[in-house]
Amino acid sequence: MFSLNKLLITLTLTALVSLSSVAFAADDTHYGIGEKATAEQIAGWDIDVRPDGKGLPKGQGSVMQGEAMYEAKCASCHGLFGEGEGRWPPLAGGEDSLTEDRPDKTVGSYWPYASTLWDYINRAMPFPAPQSLTVTEVYAITAYVLYLNDLVEDDFVLTQTNLASIKMPNEQNFYIDNRPDTNNTRCMKNCKDPSKIVVIQSLRGITPDQETETAPESSEAKPNLSEATIAGKATYDTSCFVCHGSGIAGAPKIGDKEVWGKRLGAGMDTVVKHAINGYVGDNGVMPPKGGNLTLSDEDVKNAVHYMVEAQ
Amino acid sequence: MSESKKPQSAKTYLADLATHVPTSSRRDFLKKGVKFSTGLAAATVAGEAISDNLPPNIPSWSKSLGTGVVSTPYGVPSKFEDDVIRRTVEWLTADKISSISMSPIQELKGIITPNGLVFERYHAGVPTVNPEEHRLMIHGLVDNPLIFTMDDLMRFPSESVINFLECPANGGMEWRGPQMEALQFTHGMISCCEWTGVRLSTLLAEVGVQTKGKWILAEGADGAGMSRSIPMDKALDDALVVYAQNGEKLRPEQGYPVRLFNPGWEGNTSIKWLRRLEIGDKPWHHREETSKYTDLMPDGRSRRFSYEQEANSVITSPCPENPWGQKGSYEIEGLAWSGRGKIKHVDVSIDGGVTWRPARLKGLVLSKALTRFSLPFKWDGAPGLLQSRAIDETGYVQPTLNQLRDVRGTNSIYHKNSIHTWQLQSNGKIKNVQLK
Repeated sequence: MFSLNKLLITLTLTALVSLSSVAFAADDTHYGIGEKATAEQIAGWDIDVRPDGKGLPKGQGSVMQGEAMYEAKCASCHGLFGEGEGRWPPLAGGEDSLTEDRPDKTVGSYWPYASTLWDYINRAMPFPAPQSLTVTEVYAITAYVLYLNDLVEDDFVLTQTNLASIKMPNEQNFYIDNRPDTNNTRCMKNCKDPSKIVVIQSLRGITPDQETETAPESSEAKPNLSEATIAGKATYDTSCFVCHGSGIAGAPKIGDKEVWGKRLGAGMDTVVKHAINGYVGDNGVMPPKGGNLTLSDEDVKNAVHYMVEAQ
Repeated sequence: MSESKKPQSAKTYLADLATHVPTSSRRDFLKKGVKFSTGLAAATVAGEAISDNLPPNIPSWSKSLGTGVVSTPYGVPSKFEDDVIRRTVEWLTADKISSISMSPIQELKGIITPNGLVFERYHAGVPTVNPEEHRLMIHGLVDNPLIFTMDDLMRFPSESVINFLECPANGGMEWRGPQMEALQFTHGMISCCEWTGVRLSTLLAEVGVQTKGKWILAEGADGAGMSRSIPMDKALDDALVVYAQNGEKLRPEQGYPVRLFNPGWEGNTSIKWLRRLEIGDKPWHHREETSKYTDLMPDGRSRRFSYEQEANSVITSPCPENPWGQKGSYEIEGLAWSGRGKIKHVDVSIDGGVTWRPARLKGLVLSKALTRFSLPFKWDGAPGLLQSRAIDETGYVQPTLNQLRDVRGTNSIYHKNSIHTWQLQSNGKIKNVQLK
């Protein structure tokens, strides 16, 4: 104890002595904190693309190449023709719908710049496996989505140099925010005619139930499940959930014994093989590893076990 | 809702209590016997009637010991508050990974939102970011591109501000008509915290922005690489690079370990899990500022870069979740806020906007922060149409829904800040309505 105290005193004295030789940085705009970002570090992270094409990497991709890639990696959510599955965003259609009661805001009908499509596919798609596409894939899938919107022909090849020249139909219809756009006044008395008030009641039956939910099913894997199943939960939660939680694109829903039972008629090994390599069946499309190629075969196998065995 | 608020029967309560006593102490307790089991028996006899814990009886918790220190090293709310939680509207989005939840503002007091109840908005779920390996890079049109560790960021002088954070889609489900019979769903995409971090202007001075640098691309480290273009003026005005909220490090939901924070602006510009700031001469027009977060007007054209959250207010008591009971004295209470500065006045109407009376602003009245208003009210049991109207320090008066629709139609999704109407029924219940 005694020696510890002595040590503290020594340290304090040292600190005091060295402080006196340090200038306070309060009025200095430069603190000298941080490392220089190297060209290599910047190149690895600087992925953004602008409408003028700044930021596009060297490369190209054709509509023809994009078709198969789109069908394998995008169609399960966005539909084969860009029509959108379930609540997932439609990518095509909706021309001249922006003034309608139910506008259909798609890449073709709404997006002002083609660069945005390239940038977004590159940074965030496919949804379960962001930043997994090659440069060629991003060019080709972008080209294909433009083709789905009749903005390019089927022999079109999208490149670093021609992307900025593609004019999107809705580009001119955006303008900078011009609010405030209302001019209410602070009236205190006789502000309106009470006899003219019409009360609109709310729609019934769509407010979610707010009772505290009974304890949600334990998120921990249950002890009577197989080891593969327990290991598969994490993969399911981050990758497979997107489609197999809701059943979009004909995906068998987790724990749906009946539907999984039919699939399992071919044997578990076949189901796992289809999940790893991809499969197009009568009822739906399974992209290879659900589009997340960073998963190992073992991950996929475990996740399939989890979906089959989960209650 | 009110069902879950009913006091539990003594039997249920005691049974719960018994299961919450740690096993070892329960064993001791049962050995020593008496009081606890006596209590159970009495409650059983009493059936549903609550008696043992009410005067003149001495409640059970006064005749026993509670749990000791660090039984919950990180404290949690009372189990009786288990309905004070974030909730979502499942049909709004395709899945829960790119989705939104609402704060239970009907239950909150004061102006600070507890960290576990701040509304959530993710574009690719909450990433698990290791702070040791997280970096913030600032580059582009700068003299001295830099990369910062979290330790680096915390060496800069820090500032703390209390500001609201609001999704521009707050209220957006009700452009066409009233839909949601709950305040949490009509207005819950808002929270207010004390945020601590370093001024963005300080970091920009460190890298030396070149004169051509007019825009900043802020980018997240999440799976969406969430990105927005921020004008330099905002960056130099009051934007912060934030690493703490309400005294503790950011919650993962709020961008741990570091996020951008643009006071008063739509929440999605305050990029979470911030990894990169690039200085440029033009905006980037990325997906979340073109396809999304642009406001479609009735003529088919769209506003972009609609950053500010205009003055807004809502009565939080009464509301559908907090009905009144018998006639008598009540406090009409609510929240007001403006992304352009301080709230100056809030007026309340009980007759659908024919007459208004000024409410009192209570507690802290801060710029770009939630502000509480209050109007004590003696209710005679008559039905009414309750409204609140905020006026901010710029003189802007919160518009009626009709005024908003006249300009913006019903398809803009975002920035619906109109005066809200609750219909007070003679039984004290509150319905969500709109006035034509």
